[in-house]
Amino acid sequence: MRAVIELVNVRKVYRIGGEEVYAVNGVSMSVRKGEFLCIMGASGSGKTTLLSLMGCLDRPTSGKVLIDGIDTSSLSDRELTDIRRDKIGFVFQQYHLIPTLTAFENVELPMLLKGVPKAERERRAMELLEIMGIAKAANRKPSELSGGMQQRVAIARALANDPEILLCDEPTGNLDTKSGEVVMNLIEEQNERGVTVVLVTHDPDIAKYAERVVRIRDGKIVEDPGIKLG
Amino acid sequence: MYFQLAFRNLRRNGVRSALAVIGIVIGVMAVASIGIFSANLKTSFLSSFQNVTDEVLVYPAYNAHFRHGLVTTSGVMYIDKRTAERIVRLPYVKDYAFVKDTFTTARHREEVFGVTVYGMDESAVKKLFKAEKGILRLSDSCVVGYDLADRLDLRVGSRVEINGHKLRVSAILKETGARFDVNPNNAVLVSLRDYDRIFNTKNEGYNFIVVWVKSLKDVSLFKDAVEKTVNAREKKVEVFELKIIIDQINKGFSFVSRFLMAIAGISLLVAGVSILNIMLMSTLERTKEIGVMMAIGAYRTTILKLFLLEALILGIIGSVIGAVLSLAGGYAVDMMILHSAKYLLSLTTLGYMLEGMFFGLLTTLISGFYPAWKASRLEPLEALRYE
Repeated sequence: MRAVIELVNVRKVYRIGGEEVYAVNGVSMSVRKGEFLCIMGASGSGKTTLLSLMGCLDRPTSGKVLIDGIDTSSLSDRELTDIRRDKIGFVFQQYHLIPTLTAFENVELPMLLKGVPKAERERRAMELLEIMGIAKAANRKPSELSGGMQQRVAIARALANDPEILLCDEPTGNLDTKSGEVVMNLIEEQNERGVTVVLVTHDPDIAKYAERVVRIRDGKIVEDPGIKLG
Repeated sequence: MYFQLAFRNLRRNGVRSALAVIGIVIGVMAVASIGIFSANLKTSFLSSFQNVTDEVLVYPAYNAHFRHGLVTTSGVMYIDKRTAERIVRLPYVKDYAFVKDTFTTARHREEVFGVTVYGMDESAVKKLFKAEKGILRLSDSCVVGYDLADRLDLRVGSRVEINGHKLRVSAILKETGARFDVNPNNAVLVSLRDYDRIFNTKNEGYNFIVVWVKSLKDVSLFKDAVEKTVNAREKKVEVFELKIIIDQINKGFSFVSRFLMAIAGISLLVAGVSILNIMLMSTLERTKEIGVMMAIGAYRTTILKLFLLEALILGIIGSVIGAVLSLAGGYAVDMMILHSAKYLLSLTTLGYMLEGMFFGLLTTLISGFYPAWKASRLEPLEALRYE
């Protein structure tokens, strides 16, 4: 299987009060197409930073991030935006829906940014909301939706441009167990459809959904069944 | 949908947006109202000089010099008849009027008063003026100005005595505005023949000649022709173009108008600062949202455009309302100062309304640009994590 995400000796350094902090310190790993990968670690372990690097939200201090075989270090801001828009879908712990837009419009937004025609946009948005089981809430604003529903809208939005990769940062972190289960089942369904899923969590119950769990501590991989560690 | 997004963002902070709009409304209204008023003031002022642009005045080249405490004069007091004939036979002349004038005392019943007496042809009088009462006729009679008639209670048929000669008033003229050629309001107009008889000036020339050229471009051609012929050997006459005087008045007015509008523009500046302020606050409050937009595929330019669109919406709403209200503002100032709003509904007014709108939009776009640019320069990850 080919790798959709490949990290080669990736480092991310933050300067905090003149001191250099390695959020990610020499990580090399690859994510195969169609895989359901979970990155586990305590808070501050660098797992979210790692996800941001995979999602082209941030550039590594050193090392390489390849998405679909494309070396992202040489790409411009605009080209990175294109990759985020077309190849990657984000699901955040805080849902991050646009509060002024309805559920339906939130799902439409990535397609609008891509320039998808209105009719196609509307058809796809409705379809996704139906898949997520929240078609009835299409015209409600995020503030009128429960956390679980908001996260389902967020997943629908992440899938709008039919991305290859779904990056989820603690998607159930703010949800009760039941809503969390619904959300995880929806993500699993997408993985079964062929979407590569990378999920960051510290919750072992959530990690059970994944076929491969990578553990990270202090910015370094401490366990990865995909490769043999020294 | 971008428009909806921008519009809803503005609605989210409705009061703040409304205040920004009010700022623009006031600014646009001030600029446009002042512009409209200045234009109306000018129109009202110039209306008394209508149709004089093809008129040229020819005066004798008479100069007074002050030297060693003495006044010396040079040149001639009159345009002699031969020179006058030469001037009016120049090719560019369409029509003309020879004029003699003097200031003297006259008598009506027992009252003696100072008055300007003009001697000119009956046809010239008819060309220049209209009668309020009576019929314009100058043979053995005279025509009097509106103010003079009013002051002395002159009527058609009254008798005025000038220099021992009694003349019957044939007509009273309509009131006119200030003129450069003949000012009849406080004057008695008589025929040239009567003038010479009264003042014994048969052998003297004319005090000035009013010349109407065939078209506007002939004004300077006529002037050149006079310099080359009549003034060739010796400077006998001076030529005054009324067009130049009007142009000067126009220039002066537009200068004053620009100056006043610039002062009114300060209020627009203040409105711009308030837009800058609310947009900056909005950028700050929506940092996270901007991060989300960028994460799901919005270009920096898209963010820039979205924020500019918000500024533009504020600008359009404010400018349109301001422009409409400026009509009311212009009306109010017109009524207050000119006591009339008859020049309000004109193309110039529309022009100033559009100009006010233009500056209103320009202000919002300029002050919206920095916050929009700042929003577009955010780093997606940092924006997402912003608390």
